[in-house]
Amino acid sequence: MTAPDMAGPGKTAITLAVNGTSRQLELEPRTTLAEALRNALGLTGTKIACDRGACSACTVWLNGQPVLSCMALAIDAAGQEITTIEGLAQGDVLHPVQEAFIEHDAMQCGFCTPGMVMSCAALLERDPHPDAAAVRDAIAGHYCRCGTYPHVVAATLAAAERKP
Amino acid sequence: MNRFAYANPATLAEAAATTGLVAQAMVTLDEGAVLKAGGIDLLDLLKSELLTPSVVVNLRAIKGLDVIAQDATGNLSIGAMATLAEVAAHPLVRASYPALATAIAGAAGPQLRNVATIGGNLLQRPHCWYLRSPAHHCLRKGGGHCFAIRGENQYHAIFDNHACAIVHPSTAATALVALKAEVELHEAQGAVRRLPLEDFFVGPDDDIQRENALRPREVLTAIRLRKPPASTRMAHLRQGEKAGFDWPLADVAVVLTLDLEGICREVCVVLGAAAPVPHRARAAEQALLGQRLDDATASDAARAALRGATPLSHNDYKLALFETLVRRAILATLA
Amino acid sequence: MTATRTVTFPAGIVEAGLGTVTREIPASEPPPWPPNAELTWIGKDVPRLNGREKVTGATRYTVDIRLPGMLHARFLRSPLPSAELRKLDTSAAAALAGVRAVVVLARSGDRLRYAGQPVAAVAAVSPGVAGEALAAIDAEFRPLPFVVDMDEARAPDAPLVYDEASVPKGNPSGFPAAPGLPVVGNVRGPAVVRRGDPAQGFAAADIVVEGEYRTQVQTHSCLEPHAIVADWRADGLTVYMSTQFTSGVRQELAALFGLPLNRVRVVVDGMGGGFGSKSQLGVYGRTAVELSRLAGLPVRLALNRHEEQTDAGNRPGTSQRVRLGAKRDGTLTALAIESHGTAGVALGAGIGFFAERIYTCPNFETLQHDVFVNAGPGCAMRGPGNTPGAHGLEQAIDTLAERLGLDPLALRDRIDPSKARREERRIGAERIGWSRRHAPGADPGPVKRGLGVAQSLWMSNVQTNVACEVRVLRDGSVEALSSVQDIGTGIGTVMAQVVAEVLGLRPAEITVRIGDTEFPPGGPSYGSRTTASITPPLRTAATRVLAELGREAARMLNAAPEELEARDGRLRVKSDPARSLAFRDAAALLRTDRISAVESRADDYPGFRRRMPDAAMALEDLGGVQFAEVAVDTETGAIHVERVVAVHDCGRPMNRLLLESQVQGGVLMGVSYALLERRVMDRRTGLMVNADLEHYKLAGAHDTPEIEVVILENLQGSSATDAYGIAEPANIATAPAIANAVYNAIGVRLASLPMTPDAVLAALGKTGRS
Repeated sequence: MTAPDMAGPGKTAITLAVNGTSRQLELEPRTTLAEALRNALGLTGTKIACDRGACSACTVWLNGQPVLSCMALAIDAAGQEITTIEGLAQGDVLHPVQEAFIEHDAMQCGFCTPGMVMSCAALLERDPHPDAAAVRDAIAGHYCRCGTYPHVVAATLAAAERKP
Repeated sequence: MNRFAYANPATLAEAAATTGLVAQAMVTLDEGAVLKAGGIDLLDLLKSELLTPSVVVNLRAIKGLDVIAQDATGNLSIGAMATLAEVAAHPLVRASYPALATAIAGAAGPQLRNVATIGGNLLQRPHCWYLRSPAHHCLRKGGGHCFAIRGENQYHAIFDNHACAIVHPSTAATALVALKAEVELHEAQGAVRRLPLEDFFVGPDDDIQRENALRPREVLTAIRLRKPPASTRMAHLRQGEKAGFDWPLADVAVVLTLDLEGICREVCVVLGAAAPVPHRARAAEQALLGQRLDDATASDAARAALRGATPLSHNDYKLALFETLVRRAILATLA
Repeated sequence: MTATRTVTFPAGIVEAGLGTVTREIPASEPPPWPPNAELTWIGKDVPRLNGREKVTGATRYTVDIRLPGMLHARFLRSPLPSAELRKLDTSAAAALAGVRAVVVLARSGDRLRYAGQPVAAVAAVSPGVAGEALAAIDAEFRPLPFVVDMDEARAPDAPLVYDEASVPKGNPSGFPAAPGLPVVGNVRGPAVVRRGDPAQGFAAADIVVEGEYRTQVQTHSCLEPHAIVADWRADGLTVYMSTQFTSGVRQELAALFGLPLNRVRVVVDGMGGGFGSKSQLGVYGRTAVELSRLAGLPVRLALNRHEEQTDAGNRPGTSQRVRLGAKRDGTLTALAIESHGTAGVALGAGIGFFAERIYTCPNFETLQHDVFVNAGPGCAMRGPGNTPGAHGLEQAIDTLAERLGLDPLALRDRIDPSKARREERRIGAERIGWSRRHAPGADPGPVKRGLGVAQSLWMSNVQTNVACEVRVLRDGSVEALSSVQDIGTGIGTVMAQVVAEVLGLRPAEITVRIGDTEFPPGGPSYGSRTTASITPPLRTAATRVLAELGREAARMLNAAPEELEARDGRLRVKSDPARSLAFRDAAALLRTDRISAVESRADDYPGFRRRMPDAAMALEDLGGVQFAEVAVDTETGAIHVERVVAVHDCGRPMNRLLLESQVQGGVLMGVSYALLERRVMDRRTGLMVNADLEHYKLAGAHDTPEIEVVILENLQGSSATDAYGIAEPANIATAPAIANAVYNAIGVRLASLPMTPDAVLAALGKTGRS
């Protein structure tokens, strides 16, 4: 019987592909993806609010799918394409969802906004012409204490209209 | 979170070799090694330090554990590592087991469904707030008593709650038990055993510290569903406090077959969030067998489903709620 | 005597017909603005200018700040609801490698009064080492009897939270509590407000209704936790803090640490939600600064979610006995309320001034009591006092209307003197389709619909200790500066609109620098006062710099300065617009690189209702009326709020897009309060069992009704902008509007919050506890 690959418990080399760039990091296996992004890579656009998978503020994409980075180990994300809020715009050109969020004021304090944007943008990648119910489903796991949901739904529908 | 090593086995044998104390993730509060599937519930337990393993064994590099496939006889096998999103969206699941698709769609928000696995969902630990609180050393954690029975028990069990009042947290389990699913368990030496899912879950009277019959060094690898007869009808209904994702206050799955006269010939009624394990409402089933389904028979069955319930100080509302959901679920199978 | 002049302002509710009012105003004040329809930027849907930073994750919140050498702090907290600290030895923790400072917050022998009360804090090179240091602290807690339930705490034999010597005299959280009230057991009060003779009023009544209403403890649940990075250096202290009041925190720090104000700087950029709970420095803020002082390094202290839910403030729970006496035509003869509320170990659990001010009633009395329990201290939360207060009274008013055989709107038309709310009722009734409203419980079938209404009232607060600066630089760029913080309202965007309106530029051309005490004091963002406080002096300052710029331009254009106007990026002669100069070319004429004007908040032109040292209350209260349509499943107990129409006033609306966001937010928080939220304390262990966002439930996208927002333009001629606030009024009426709609749907009143399925089923007699 062969022994499996082992890492840790101390720091171990982990390579993360973030926003199209390969980043070499030394992390303990217990490091969550959210912590790695925020602390090791300085990508603080990804927020931690409940830290337990109940609010979706920490949503990033793994291979294009929205997932909760506070409930994922960084080491599990090795070898996958990670997209964070910092990597959503193409240079200076915002994603249509980002543009629409600004126009429709789909934000107040803004703390939940990066996660909301990631979930709504992922929805449009998968379903270019969703209805309001589909948008609500896509953000069903998100909490916004300021109450931006109506504008988030309106913005996402508007972004879908605009997308070719 | 404590520091732990991370093992990334490529085969089940390697996984089993990792340690002598391999237990399925989310099943034991013991130290040692734990298996990690999607890792959602595991991270929750690690962050609360309710689980402080020395090794976390990742199952995601093992190929083939996430396959959803039909065999020659039409039975469906769902790999335990298939994500909730994959299961709920699978055409075979949607076509033949719509109650399962519904139950899973409501099991978590979309971001979690993209990662959480069907196996992990069945094996997650209860979400009783006393169990999850490091400050409450409850019976299930080796302590002296159940805090819920005389405490804040509005979300707790109304059946089999005299020792420990947890409810089983999996809505997928409610549907799968009603569908008479089997689980496939791989032992370290490669032996495989199959068990009806209903028998897999363990109540507090059998073992207060675990919720299922998984043995040490055993891995849940697949869920098997028999091909439903053409006359099968099914429904899953849930009610939470929130309109979006929420832990259900009550959920109900009904799977039945009707003969050509519309008489109920086979039926399984299961209540979730009612008991420490998915609760078969056998009296309701008896009430339906041989009957034509209508408002009156559904109501009779719904009343029967709650017979013998022992609600606690804050959860007798569940009687009325379950009665409604059972009746509506029975009638929904006709829709 | 300051020079004054007499001017005529447009006044009244634009939607209902505009009149005028003549005021004598200081000569230095700018001329009246016309209604919004005639303005370029004011009242328009200008998207927030920092939106790009927010949607790209670039906004820096306090929790995002990393400074070189920064330490991480954590608290050791009492694990018990009531305990004597028997021993506290931090020497082993202090000696651990990587630990840089330890602060002790309680001494051996001290009484600890709630689970989660801070006992000590450490700062270390990493959060992990800080955690190890906490484990190394040798602390012993002797359990003492405790009580966490308000009703149990009122019993004569209940364990005492305080003794006579230790009972709080005032409220450190800043929410006012009447001084010098008697304390009996755990009950302090009553605070009495009385006018007329209530007993006589009830005797004169044709009808008396009485009811008891209860509201739960709600936690603020800010998504960004309370957080601070304190950087103590020899030449001064800089604090980055998630706060609603930068200049207030600076004051507190200077006083506490004996520093001159010019050596204390408080900075906030992104601010992830406060709702009243981030108004003061707090124990956590003070502790972080002390740790930084001791360590000589920057210290980051951010609460984790459990701490955030247990020890970062909460909206107190209440129980209210409401009595109303009325004549057959609805005229009120008496209104009396006795309330008990609990803010845990703190004061401030009253029902506010809602009942005192909203309806005309000659005989009035409130008796408000605080009940101490062993739970984390409450503090102000969005419409403090009035939100629970409205929940009781607005249901009682509906009950009275039903007993009188009057429509709830007709009764309010009779007893509510507010012109704004009368208009709001009219508009709202039309939008919601009030004429469809049926008799209570009239729908056939298990799912029953209903319509309900409730009203809002909040004071028009103004911070008078507020100033701001407008600068024009020689290249034509413009800056607006103030220490005011954007807690999510978009105040920076409103500031840019004001300056752009005056200078004839576009809002995006104005650089707004806020959230830093290096700039003129901007006042607090609580009490719905930010816009009312800062926009008038900003307009005045912008007017002054424009005048200075105009003098240069006038020379060039051979015109008198007063002949010029600023429009479309140019300064031009009003009578001959062809004679003009680009704003940027005018700026190039300046003698210095930069001109600037600093202005402070002038008094409201007609005076104030009440004046405090740094703040005042405007003459006219803020109104607001909300209508709700609900569907109640009488077999599951589930309530679905399908629609809310929220009609509000806030003086002159400055930016309708941002106002709509705030009103939606207030409604959502009200829906959440009405249906879901509840702090659950385990009575046997004294611990909060839902100190997370899993079992403490907030409204999500699927719980969101269709919300229609209508905002009146209510001009009063009272300041340079006539703008007032909206955040709190938007929250106050929602829960009672839903409760009244639920009654209309099912014909049974749910007197307690939250209205969860179990409560609905119980009210319908479908459980054993009905």
